[in-house]
Amino acid sequence: MNQQRPELVCPAGTPAALKTAIEAGADAVYVGFRDETNARNFPGLNFSRPELKDAIGLAHRNGAKVLVAINTFPRAGATDIWHRAVDDAVTLGADALILADIGLLAYAAERHPEARLHLSVQAAASNPASIRFYAERFGVRRVVLPRVLTVAEIKALNAEIAPIETEVFVFGGLCVMAEGRCALSSYATGQSPNSNGVCSPAAAVRYVETETGTASMLGEITVNHFRHDEPAGYPTLCKGRFVAQDQASYLFEEPTSLNTLGLLPDLIDAGITAFKIEGRQRGRAYVAAVVSAFRQGVDAVLAGGTPPVASLDAIVEGGRETAGAYRKAWR
Amino acid sequence: MGPLNEAAGPATVGSNNRPFTPSLLLGLALRPVPLALIQPALDALVAAVRRRHPDLLERVSAYADSGICIDPTDLPFVLLLTLDPARPRLTARRALEPGEASATIRGSLDALIALTDGKVDGDALFFTRKLIIEGDTEIVVALRNAIDGADIDLTEDLAATCGPLAGPVRSLIRVAAGVIGRLGQDMEAVRATVIAPALARAEMQSARIAAVERDVARLRRTGSGR
Repeated sequence: MNQQRPELVCPAGTPAALKTAIEAGADAVYVGFRDETNARNFPGLNFSRPELKDAIGLAHRNGAKVLVAINTFPRAGATDIWHRAVDDAVTLGADALILADIGLLAYAAERHPEARLHLSVQAAASNPASIRFYAERFGVRRVVLPRVLTVAEIKALNAEIAPIETEVFVFGGLCVMAEGRCALSSYATGQSPNSNGVCSPAAAVRYVETETGTASMLGEITVNHFRHDEPAGYPTLCKGRFVAQDQASYLFEEPTSLNTLGLLPDLIDAGITAFKIEGRQRGRAYVAAVVSAFRQGVDAVLAGGTPPVASLDAIVEGGRETAGAYRKAWR
Repeated sequence: MGPLNEAAGPATVGSNNRPFTPSLLLGLALRPVPLALIQPALDALVAAVRRRHPDLLERVSAYADSGICIDPTDLPFVLLLTLDPARPRLTARRALEPGEASATIRGSLDALIALTDGKVDGDALFFTRKLIIEGDTEIVVALRNAIDGADIDLTEDLAATCGPLAGPVRSLIRVAAGVIGRLGQDMEAVRATVIAPALARAEMQSARIAAVERDVARLRRTGSGR
């Protein structure tokens, strides 16, 4: 059985969350700049340049790494924003850059050949040929896999692409299928998750209290209506509940969250280099709870035990958890 | 702030009903108190948070002209927060005029304090329906992120306003939080054993009455159709 110690990669939307993640046992923390160069471009979130400098210093003093996500797709005519982000992340001492766009990968590989490059989940590379292309052409060292593969498929993939590392999501919000290519939110708001870093931008979201519950609106579209006694979810179209043939139902995906605590022995056995926790938009309390649970879980499995049972239902979207595609029975 | 870190609670969902919490008793006690007496404490708190967490206002600097209504549902007043970096204000008001606030954040005092202290996650409170948001969501998200990022500890911030009395005030807050926590557990026990079953019975009776009313209406229709 493979017992390589996986790196626990944890989210931080603010310096306080980064400190919390490190205290809770993160091996690495991933962050973004306070602009459209990353896929969590939410108001009041993310790092200024001086904040990133201090955060990297704090992380390194505590033996943790800082990975900088610059994982949206540069817009024509505005590529300098993304180039500056790459340059600054390298200058400030980031341990790796998480990139998705081919042009930006080429820029980073050319200008900063010493920088460690990771391929973002936004690039949706999920087969050996695609992954090898990024490794051979741009020197990508690690690939964050899209959330569409089973554990057995990941194990087989690892055997084929070694020594290229893989990183998989172990907890948090789920996107539907072809990651990095979703335009649903753009139709309703005019802003793109892939270019502007905002899925359901807050400025386009409204919650309306009704007699029977809460309606969530995105632009002019009613995404969902939650009864008072129902758990709520994010106002994203992919998890909207729409009326079709007089029946309201989740047409694409239900509001549930990924939780692989119970799958950790299998995931560790699959030879994955890093386990990633989603949620840079979440608060310190989420970071503390989830990172601690996974720190304990990984350490328990490596010590020959089983992961402790920890219900994280109370903090996840829709109040429900799933093992996602890792255990999928469908094709 | 002490026992408030359980405000998110289990994965049950809340309701819009007024929460049965110690803060509700506090709210009843505060009802006859003029708000002018509360205001100096709020001013001191804002001054302390501003001094101790300067990055907070920087994160919400784009919303300097906006007012946010913070509505602790178990207190008899609301708080109007304005984010002008030069003069941020938290004002206690019985009610707001239309247009004074761009957004409203509503929840129990426990939940709002725990959120400010970073003891619970804002999205988790929202998912479990313990936090209600109305109006401009962008301002609320920005404020939530700024507060969470500021590493606020209200006990420490309040104590910091008290100069040489900081130590005793800190102890007093911790003791009060402990008492409130135990009172909260007692009130939850009362709610679970007395109030909840009574409400459930009342709901069952309402359902029965509604069923009878439907039957009567159907019989009337059938009768008039003959």
